[in-house]
Amino acid sequence: MGALVIDGVTASIGKIPVLRGVRLRVEPGETVALLGRNGVGKTSTLRAVLGLLKRTGGTATYNGVNLDTVQPHKLAALGIGYVPQGRGMFPLLSVKENLTLGLTRAPAPEVMADIFRRFPRLEERLSQAAGTLSGGEQQMLALARCLVMKPSLIMLDEPTEGIMPKLVSQIRHEIAEIAKRGISVLLVEQNLRTALRLASRVYLMERGTIVHEATPDALRADPASVHRYLGVSL
Amino acid sequence: MSGLVLALAVNGLVWGLIIALIALGLSIIFGLLDIINVAHGDFFMLGTVVVLVLATSTGSYWLALLLVPVIGLGVGLILERVIIRPTIRQASLTIVTTFGLSMMLQEGVRATYGAQPRRMAAPIEGTIPLFGIDYDVYRIFAAAFATLCLIAFFLFLTRTKLGTWIRAVRHDPETATALGVPVARICAITFGLGTAMALLGGAIAAPITTVEFRTGVDILPFCFMAVIIGGLGNLQGTVAAALLLAVMEGLVTSVTDPTIARIVSLGFMSVVLLVRPHGLFSGATR
Repeated sequence: MGALVIDGVTASIGKIPVLRGVRLRVEPGETVALLGRNGVGKTSTLRAVLGLLKRTGGTATYNGVNLDTVQPHKLAALGIGYVPQGRGMFPLLSVKENLTLGLTRAPAPEVMADIFRRFPRLEERLSQAAGTLSGGEQQMLALARCLVMKPSLIMLDEPTEGIMPKLVSQIRHEIAEIAKRGISVLLVEQNLRTALRLASRVYLMERGTIVHEATPDALRADPASVHRYLGVSL
Repeated sequence: MSGLVLALAVNGLVWGLIIALIALGLSIIFGLLDIINVAHGDFFMLGTVVVLVLATSTGSYWLALLLVPVIGLGVGLILERVIIRPTIRQASLTIVTTFGLSMMLQEGVRATYGAQPRRMAAPIEGTIPLFGIDYDVYRIFAAAFATLCLIAFFLFLTRTKLGTWIRAVRHDPETATALGVPVARICAITFGLGTAMALLGGAIAAPITTVEFRTGVDILPFCFMAVIIGGLGNLQGTVAAALLLAVMEGLVTSVTDPTIARIVSLGFMSVVLLVRPHGLFSGATR
């Protein structure tokens, strides 16, 4: 039984179908990348899992729980964390308010100590408005905000988008650290190199459906598929 | 003459503080739910009527003043569930539904309470000399109490978890949902809170205004002007604009009649919209 199983999920925005029977699974502790060109439905897949985009068909289950039976705001308590595209900052809220937004009680001191050990710059800026942080710092805050809720699966949407190149490797390192802790990761990423380095399995998406599944090594050995579905060369 | 002008300016300030409370309710409802609540003035009217009825039946204005916001919160929560939620995120439709609600509230009050305008005795009697005239002590209390309510509201918004959630949902309801914030409940509470603030404004204003079923009709455009001039959804801006408008109307009324004063306010709003389309305080913290 996979941690996250998406089976034949369909969804539309208005009358336009954006997901046409998406099938993928993320096993416990596994890092899976979902790749594709712009507008093929990667973000919509994540939003459909979270119930932010209404699923019109198929099923999504997490650890055996049918997500149709869970209200979207209760998915975080089920262990599903989400770092949205563009980082999803609340710019006028302080760093501390952003960090603890999803918590109803004060976080345990050891949890915060762990977060500050990993992201020391956040501790220095706790009372600062999140909107004043740099793009890299905001991405760190988005990751920390997710980790503080102790998720068992994190869905990351374009975590390196718009980040200074020298910070990309740091974010890549943090994602690898997350995976080492046994947290499942579903990674939507435009940066092919990042995705292939982090993931143990890769799904390629086109026109709202999964068209190819491979290991990173198999994909590296198949430049034709990479070029066909992603429009880039390895 | 100058004493009278200053007294009218103070009068404007007192009204401005009460209006700020009501307009803040309108602003948080608009900012969070995208609802243009045409019935908001009638919530104010309901506050004046309910406080009068409760004060008469219990014999205590102060008890009534405590009960009115609680009743307002309850009324707001029920209306949100029955009328607002089915039309949420459809701004144009909410104008129609809240207009219908406005009619229902006005006619409901007229049918039960009557059409006759009434006055309510001030719970604090007496006057104090102010700028050469005798000024009602209750008006000073009303201004102080409205100020306390405004401070309490901003403290609630910035110092409590619920307030933080309201600010987060205003900015990005989807990410807030993904982080575990119960957005539907926050929207309901916000509507209830906005309604409670309007009723509370009515309860504070009842002893210094006329209590009748159409009282809200005059308040609504003033609140909308404060929200627009302050910058849509800008809460601090709304308070500043309400004070500015009320003092300005008070001063203009000292040399002409209230209708001209309202025309001046509308003219001021037009100029603000031409010069700063996003409001006078659009750069302030939202």
